[in-house]
Amino acid sequence: MNFGENKREGNKRTTMKTLMNGMARWLWGSFLLIPALLLVCVGTGAASEKKPFLDTIKSVDAPFDSRSVQQVQPVPQPTVVAKEEYQGGQFRVLARKEQIERHKCSNCHGEKEVKGKNAFTLTHGNVVVQHGREGSELACIDCHHPQDRDALEDKKGRKIDFDHSYQLCGQCHFRQKRDWLGGAHGKRVSYWAGERIIFNCTTCHDPHAPRFAKRFPATYSVPLN
Amino acid sequence: MSAHTNRNVRTFIIDVFRWNLRGGIGFQLFRLLLLGCMAMGIYAYSFQARFGLSVTGMNDIISWGFYISNFTFLVGVAAAAVMLILPAYVFHDPNFHRVVIIGEGVAVGALVMCLSFIVVDLGGPLQAWHLIPGIGIFNFPSSILAWDVLVLNGYLLLNALVPAYILYSHYMGRKANEKLYRPFVFLSIFWAFSIHMVTAFLYQGLPARPFWNNPLLGPRFLASAFAAGPALIALILAVIHNFTSYKIDRSVFNKLRLIIVISAIINLLMLFSEIFKEFYFPTHHSSAAVYLFFGMDGHDSLVPWIWTSVCVNLAATLVLAFNPGKNNPKVLLPACVFLFVAIWMEKGIGLIVPGLIPSPLGEIVDYLPTWVELTVTLGIFALGITVVSWLIRAALIIEERYEH
Amino acid sequence: MSLQDNEKEMEKDKENKNTNEILADALADKSSRRSFIKNLSIGAAAASATLVTGCVPGADAAVSGEMRLRWQEFFKKNYRLMTEEEKEQTVSRLERLAALKDGLELQIGSEPPLPKVLYGYAFNITRCEGFMECVTACIKENNLDRKTHTQYIRIFEMEPGQLDPSTGDGKYFHEVPVENKFYMGTQCFHCENAPCTKACPTKATWREPDGIVVVDYDWCIGCRYCQAACPYFGRRFNWGKAEIPKEEITTKQHYLGNRLRPMGKMEKCTFCIQRTRKGRLPACVEACPTGSRVFGNLLDPDSEIRYVLKHKKVFRMKEELGTEPKFWYFID
Repeated sequence: MNFGENKREGNKRTTMKTLMNGMARWLWGSFLLIPALLLVCVGTGAASEKKPFLDTIKSVDAPFDSRSVQQVQPVPQPTVVAKEEYQGGQFRVLARKEQIERHKCSNCHGEKEVKGKNAFTLTHGNVVVQHGREGSELACIDCHHPQDRDALEDKKGRKIDFDHSYQLCGQCHFRQKRDWLGGAHGKRVSYWAGERIIFNCTTCHDPHAPRFAKRFPATYSVPLN
Repeated sequence: MSAHTNRNVRTFIIDVFRWNLRGGIGFQLFRLLLLGCMAMGIYAYSFQARFGLSVTGMNDIISWGFYISNFTFLVGVAAAAVMLILPAYVFHDPNFHRVVIIGEGVAVGALVMCLSFIVVDLGGPLQAWHLIPGIGIFNFPSSILAWDVLVLNGYLLLNALVPAYILYSHYMGRKANEKLYRPFVFLSIFWAFSIHMVTAFLYQGLPARPFWNNPLLGPRFLASAFAAGPALIALILAVIHNFTSYKIDRSVFNKLRLIIVISAIINLLMLFSEIFKEFYFPTHHSSAAVYLFFGMDGHDSLVPWIWTSVCVNLAATLVLAFNPGKNNPKVLLPACVFLFVAIWMEKGIGLIVPGLIPSPLGEIVDYLPTWVELTVTLGIFALGITVVSWLIRAALIIEERYEH
Repeated sequence: MSLQDNEKEMEKDKENKNTNEILADALADKSSRRSFIKNLSIGAAAASATLVTGCVPGADAAVSGEMRLRWQEFFKKNYRLMTEEEKEQTVSRLERLAALKDGLELQIGSEPPLPKVLYGYAFNITRCEGFMECVTACIKENNLDRKTHTQYIRIFEMEPGQLDPSTGDGKYFHEVPVENKFYMGTQCFHCENAPCTKACPTKATWREPDGIVVVDYDWCIGCRYCQAACPYFGRRFNWGKAEIPKEEITTKQHYLGNRLRPMGKMEKCTFCIQRTRKGRLPACVEACPTGSRVFGNLLDPDSEIRYVLKHKKVFRMKEELGTEPKFWYFID
């Protein structure tokens, strides 16, 4: 087989020329498709540009009746109406008192001083206060009412119910409280719809050691190969 | 000539089968080998049908692998038939007119392989009917994949029907009516560019994948296709020239060499331009290219692959351009083989896999096709070669008879 | 270090145990062929089980019934084109099929979107401490494949100074939180201008009127173009048959949500559509021990999510892509 040698001089050049001409012509022809595609792309692109999505959301200010969602069931946990309001008005928080192991406190802490061998260690020995700056942790009566043990007391001397401890926590953690009232801190119970019921401060945080303890994550992500 | 009176569509089909089933012992062995490969492919696919795509090397990060790589490359091979159609039908080059049917046969084979690769890559091939407009829903024009389905099937139809008509006319001993098929030829030229541009847009239109989201991808697809496709066609022509009585004029090879060289040089130019953009000032978006060319975080399975491809590509292009053997086929044909393989490496796995690595969340995994993928691919290649050889064998016999 | 490794090993063992036990039991008890078959069907090879149930006397009717249901399921329409009646029918077919095939009692719903609701999500990167409770809750709620450890949510341990999760560590397993690190979660962001829905060739994935991007698992053909189109790694594919221990399957399901996905189909986070459309919070939000996750109705000016958008410094991931995710990160 020998398909090599070029017999005619200049054959190469003319071939190339005609080829390039042809290619150019048909490349132009193929651009028929491109405008069609372009139209589609520009069409859809322009449509998405029309109304900025965030503006659409922010322009909605008609109140939404989240109680209109039929399937919302009452939450099983006991709740109380909060003594403050959020942007939507009244809301509820998870009650605390029943969660406290030895409530009511006045069962022991009455008029008389509690006396008994190792009484403190036996009843409250598990409480480790890790609240406040290290080395100068808070004392019990910084939050607990010195006389009425069934209540808490803030720095202004107001008596505060265990169910409404946010009023106490908020005196230092006012930023967190603001976020919590608005909804950027803490969380709702089970439902995004229906009446607003949210976690109390003490539902998540141990008031004696509010920082979450270090632990292993619940699971891990495996590499894919 | 008078013997043509008792021919019709039925005898045409019967004759095509007859010619293809007969042949020498070598030819029969070749057929058997292809059948064996296809059987192996089907066997491997049975695993995929039973256990899903979990038997492949793909995962949620590298969600497209060997199948889609081959698909992308073969779309280019199919599109390259236009490089024979253009001179043959538009410039009435008589030598090209004799071989254009072979180019069209290659295109049909390549398209059959493309569609098969898509089908084996589907997670739910039984649901593929959801794509059929009317019965299913076709997300047109929004989805580029819908465009791709349309243009691929359209091109398959064009490339099957026009030659079928011409061959049938020749089989019946009459000249094909050029007025009848000429519009379709022009349409198929335009269509050839579009199948490859649309396939490029498939990737190019994804902002999620910066490696693909690059306006040069479409043109580069065309350039590499017009280098690799004609290289393959030149090889097939050489085989036909050597093993059959159908002789190919040497000027065809010269012109093909020219087409290959021009396209390969444009391809390399664009490759260089891309490499420059990625590495002169590497951004966040260059990480896929970094992974491909240099490896990342100890993952470097594609580094030898791509450098082999680039070096072989460069060498083959230089050989074809400077033509050291003075058109000696013993130099040019191996150069075509190397160029074809180099572009397959680069435009297949070298394009698809790094586009998916690192994942949008920055995770890097390596990809290695499993035996299932390799065997299924082998089977599909065997299918494609079978289709091409059937079509070409029938075509050549008809053409030779018609010429005499 | 060794402690961590041990725990990891233990976790792995735990996960492998189920299938291993089933296999071991099945192999030990060779005399009872039917129990072997039963075990197998619970385990990996559900496909072969359908073939063998034909041998069980009296099961012929059930098999033909199953075949009819499957036939009807195969030729059903895209969910979006179904009438209410057709939705009811397919849901009841799916329930019956699950009962016939695997003896599961499922309640599959087809709740429509709620009016005047557009779901939005916010993630507090100051608060998240990387406990990954959300991930386990999500796996459980959404019946994710335990075999390949499919997870819709990824949590990345981030070095200060960078905000792109690709610079963080998504494979950490040690005590958290680590000093001077922060944690960032990703999942499907339910883009308003979602590239995935645009890419799908069969319209098998779309944005619902309440903003949730869903997949019709039975309409999907498994081409994975949406997965390539997603800039957030928000989509997962069922590479094989999902394996979930029978007793852990969440039976309250939704057609577009956590129902058991067939092999070879795309799936993704649906903001727990089966819960949220009933007013409940997504499982991840409910499980989060630190309250880092805020979920609500963007069209409700009094909602928590609107409060976050109004009062907090927020950002979205890859905002430059114009995908408009409905998922914001914020800082206390």
